[in-house]
Amino acid sequence: MSLQLDVNGEDRMFYGDPMTPLLDVLRNTFLLTGAKDVCREGFCGACTVRIDGVPTMSCLRPVALLQDSKIVTIEGLGIEGDLTPLQQAFEDHDAVQCGMCFPGMVMSLTEFLGRRPEASREEMKEALVGNICRCTGYERIIDAALSVRLALEAAE
Amino acid sequence: MNTFADPTKAVMNLARRDARDKLRGRTRYTVDHVTPGTLHAFLLRSQIASARIVSLDTSVARKMPGVRGIATAEDAPGMHGIGIADHPLFAKDIIRYDGEPIAAVAAETLEQAKAAVAAIIVELEPLPAIVTMAEALAPDAALIHKDWKNYEVLLEGAARGGNVAWEAKVIRGDTDAAFARPDVEIIDSCFRVGRQNHVPFEPRAVVATFEDGRFHIQTSTQVPWTVRHVTAKVLGIPNSQVRVTVPPVGGAFGLKFDCSLEPFAAILARATGRRVALVNSRREEMLTCLCRENAEIRIRSAVTKDGEIVGREATVLMDCGAYGGEQVFLTTMTAHTLGGNYRLGSVRLSSRAVYTNTAPNGAFRACNGVYNTFALERHTDEICQAIGMNPLEFRRINVIGDQDIGATGQVFEGNVLGPMLERMEQLKQKMPSKRALAGNRLYGRATTVGTWFIFVGPSAATVNLNTDGSATLVTSGVEIGSGTMMQSLPQIVAASLGIDPSEVIVKTADTDASGFDLGVGGGRTTVSIGAASVAACEEVRKTILTVASEMLQTKAERLVLGNGRVEIIGVPGSGMTIAAVAKRAQELFGPVAGSGAFTKPGIPAMAGCAMGHFIDAIDIPVFAVHECEVAVDPDTGHVEILDYRVVQDVGRALNPRAIHGQIQGGVVQGLGYALHEEMSLDGFGRIRQSGLETYRLPLAQDVVPVQIDLYEGGPSIGPLGTKGAGEVPILNVGAVVACAVANAIGKPVHELPLTPPRVLSLILEDSHNLDLEHISRKWEENTIR
Repeated sequence: MSLQLDVNGEDRMFYGDPMTPLLDVLRNTFLLTGAKDVCREGFCGACTVRIDGVPTMSCLRPVALLQDSKIVTIEGLGIEGDLTPLQQAFEDHDAVQCGMCFPGMVMSLTEFLGRRPEASREEMKEALVGNICRCTGYERIIDAALSVRLALEAAE
Repeated sequence: MNTFADPTKAVMNLARRDARDKLRGRTRYTVDHVTPGTLHAFLLRSQIASARIVSLDTSVARKMPGVRGIATAEDAPGMHGIGIADHPLFAKDIIRYDGEPIAAVAAETLEQAKAAVAAIIVELEPLPAIVTMAEALAPDAALIHKDWKNYEVLLEGAARGGNVAWEAKVIRGDTDAAFARPDVEIIDSCFRVGRQNHVPFEPRAVVATFEDGRFHIQTSTQVPWTVRHVTAKVLGIPNSQVRVTVPPVGGAFGLKFDCSLEPFAAILARATGRRVALVNSRREEMLTCLCRENAEIRIRSAVTKDGEIVGREATVLMDCGAYGGEQVFLTTMTAHTLGGNYRLGSVRLSSRAVYTNTAPNGAFRACNGVYNTFALERHTDEICQAIGMNPLEFRRINVIGDQDIGATGQVFEGNVLGPMLERMEQLKQKMPSKRALAGNRLYGRATTVGTWFIFVGPSAATVNLNTDGSATLVTSGVEIGSGTMMQSLPQIVAASLGIDPSEVIVKTADTDASGFDLGVGGGRTTVSIGAASVAACEEVRKTILTVASEMLQTKAERLVLGNGRVEIIGVPGSGMTIAAVAKRAQELFGPVAGSGAFTKPGIPAMAGCAMGHFIDAIDIPVFAVHECEVAVDPDTGHVEILDYRVVQDVGRALNPRAIHGQIQGGVVQGLGYALHEEMSLDGFGRIRQSGLETYRLPLAQDVVPVQIDLYEGGPSIGPLGTKGAGEVPILNVGAVVACAVANAIGKPVHELPLTPPRVLSLILEDSHNLDLEHISRKWEENTIR
C-alpha cells in the first residue's frame, strides 16, 4: 500500500504495511533516526514526535492513520539547524548525558512550554510523566526548562 | 619540568561538545547505523530454563525467503568467561537458561529473520530447573555444569565446586576468639535483594562486516578490547583479526561491560559476506539483561559495649545465573564493600558466585557494593540498637582512617570518611529538615557511609600535536554518556599542553588505532586513560619546550605553556604560538607525537588474607556519605523521599558541574533500586518483568534535587589527584533509604526494594526477622572445604 505523509513540511511517500508504526517508517524508510526506538510500548517517550501539534509516541501510531496529519520530528525543529531556546538551555545547563531520551524530551517540553509558559516546577515534572530519562535524575532538565521561561520574562 | 605547575588550570565547567547533536537527534548511536542494505539478524532463544537438546534442524529455515545465513554452536567452538571459561556462545547440548541463544539467522528483513527462526526445529528433553540459590546449594542439587572440573581456568587460586562457580574468601585474625569473648554482644542479620535491570535506552546492538579476512565490529560497548578478545576466542581465530569501533553509546551503566551480541553478528557477517546488524528488542533486553545480581547475605558481628567491632563474619551469595560472568570477578568486591567502612579486629568473609538456571547476571554501576553497603549499614544500625549507641557516634568512632587496615590487611592513607561525616553535619545544618512535609505520615532520617574504589588497570594514550596547534588524543575510551570523553579528558590534555580544550580532538575507540584498554567502567576512565594521556602529553611537551628553547634562545626551564603559546616566564607576549613550534618541530624531526601508558600501582594486602580474589587491595578507595529524609504512609506503605544529601570523595573535581550531574543521576538510579525496581523470577526460571509496564523506573515526579558537597583532597594516585566520580553516587542509596525507612516505621528492614506492599507488611507484621537457613551461622559451613 502507498501512503502520502507530511513530514517536517515535506510530502513523503511510504510503500508498505499500513499498520507499520510511524516510528519504524521515520527511522527505517525516511532515515530520520532522531526519534528513538526504546520501549515500543508508549512508556518511555523517546519516540515522541508532534502530530498536528500534539506530542505523540510514534511507536503506537499506525502510519495509515496519519495521511491527513502534519508530522514534525526532532529534525524539523529549529531554523536551519540552529538550537531552539529550550535546546540551548539544555546545552547551557549541561543537562545531556547519553542523550537517547532528549529528542523526545525536547518534543514534549517544547509543546508544553508553548502552552503553559508559566508552569511551576511541579507542573513541569507532571508534564514529563511520559518521558523517562535513565541518566540524569531529571532535576537539571527541569532547571533548564524553567530557565527558558525566566529568559522570556526577562526579555519582555 | 612539572606538567601541572597549576592543576587548577584543568578545572572548569566545560560544556559537552556532543550535546548539540544529541539534542537535535543527529547523533548516530549503533542502533542508528542499521542502514539500507544491512542484513538483519535475529536469535532463536530457548523458551525453557533447563533442557537437553535432542536435535536441531535448520534445513527448512535455510530455504525461507530472504534468509542469507544461519549460525549454530558448530560455528562457535570456543568457550569464554571471567576466571573460568564456562560460557559457550550458543547452547550446544544443554540449555541452561530461558532466553539462551540456540541459533542465529541473518535475512534481508527483520520479519524474514524472525520467520526463519520460527521455522528452526528444535527437539528438547526438559530437565528440572534450579531457580534459587537455596536450591542450587542443597546437598542433593543437580549440577548445572556437569563438566565444571574440565573447564579452562583463567585465574588460578579460587575454590570452586558443585554449583559454586567461584568462591573468594578473606580470613584475617581469629574471629572464633573474638566471638567467644565474654564482653561482646553478637549481632546476626540476614539480607536479601532482587535483580536490577540497567535499562540503558540504547539496547545492546552491533553491526558487523567481514572484509579482507578481518572482522569489523561496530558496537554499543564499554569494553572494545574485551569484545575483540571474546569474539576471537569463541570463533577460534586470532585476536588480530578483529577490529572494534564504538559509536556514541546510548547508556550502559555496566550492562555493556561484557561481550554479548557481537560474536553472533560477526559469524553471520563472515557467512554471508554482508553487513549484519543485531539489535536486542526491549523484551530481549529485559529477559536476558546482565542484571545487578540478586544476593543473599548473612553478617554476624561481635561488638563490645563501647562499640568496638572485634570480630565480623559474613557470607554473601551472588546469583551468577547460568554462567559465571562478572559475578566471578565481583566476588572479590565483598572484601572491600561489606568488609569496608569500619575498622575490624578480625574478619572472615565468604563471597560465592552461585549457578542457577536463570539468565546470567553482570556488572551494574557500583556492582556488589550497592547491596553490600545496604546490608552493612542496616547491620550497623542493628548493632547500634543492640548496644544502645547513637548510629552517627558509632560511625564516627569506627570508620576507616589514616593507617587503619582494611579487611584484607591493606593500609589506608589519610582521614577521609571521618571529615566527610563532619561535612555532612555542616550540610544538614545549612538546610533545615523537611520533616514538616511528612505531615501525618511516619518520618525517618538516616546517615550512611560507603566504601568504593577506582578500577584502575592498563590504559594507553597517544597524543599527536598538529601544526595548527591542536592536539589529537587517541585512546580506546568510549563516550557512554558520563561525559569523560567530552569533558575530563580534553580538560586534562588541554591543561597539560597549554591549549584550549576546544583544540583537543578526542578520538573514540578503534582497536586498530589505539592501544589496549581495560574499558570504560569502574570509574576508571578519567584516572587510567587520564594518566596515560598525561604521560603522552609529557613527551609532546618536552619536544615543544626543546624546540621552542632553541627558537627563543631561552632555557626550557624558563618557558611556560599557556593560551596556545610558549612564553618566557614573566614576559607575556615574548614567545610564540605552539602551532609555530609544532611546525618547526615537524621540519626538524617530523610530526610531534607522544605516547603514554598506565596500569596500577599495586597496593599490597596482608599476605595470606585474601583467597580467590582478582584484586587483593584497592588502589584508589572512594568514600561516600549519604543522608536522606523519608515519609512513609502507614496506610499504603508508600515511601516518599523528602530530601537527599551527598558528600562525595572526588579527589579533585575537574568539572564540578558534570560531577553534580552524575551524582543526581546516580542517586536517582539508586532510588529506583531502593524503592521499586525489581526483576523477579517465576517458578520456571523466567524473568517476570518483560517491559517497562512491569518494571517501574523513576519518573520526574519521584525525585528531589540532591544537595551535594564535593569532598576534595583525599589521597589519590589519579592524574591531578582525581578520582572517578560517576560510578559511586549509586553506592549508598539503597542503604540510606532502608535505614531511614527502618527508623520511620520502627522495624528492621532486610530486603529491597521497599515497594509499598513490602513496607506495609513490615508495618503490619509483629516481627519480621529474615533468617536465611541456607546460609549457616557457622561460617566455615559456607565455604568449600
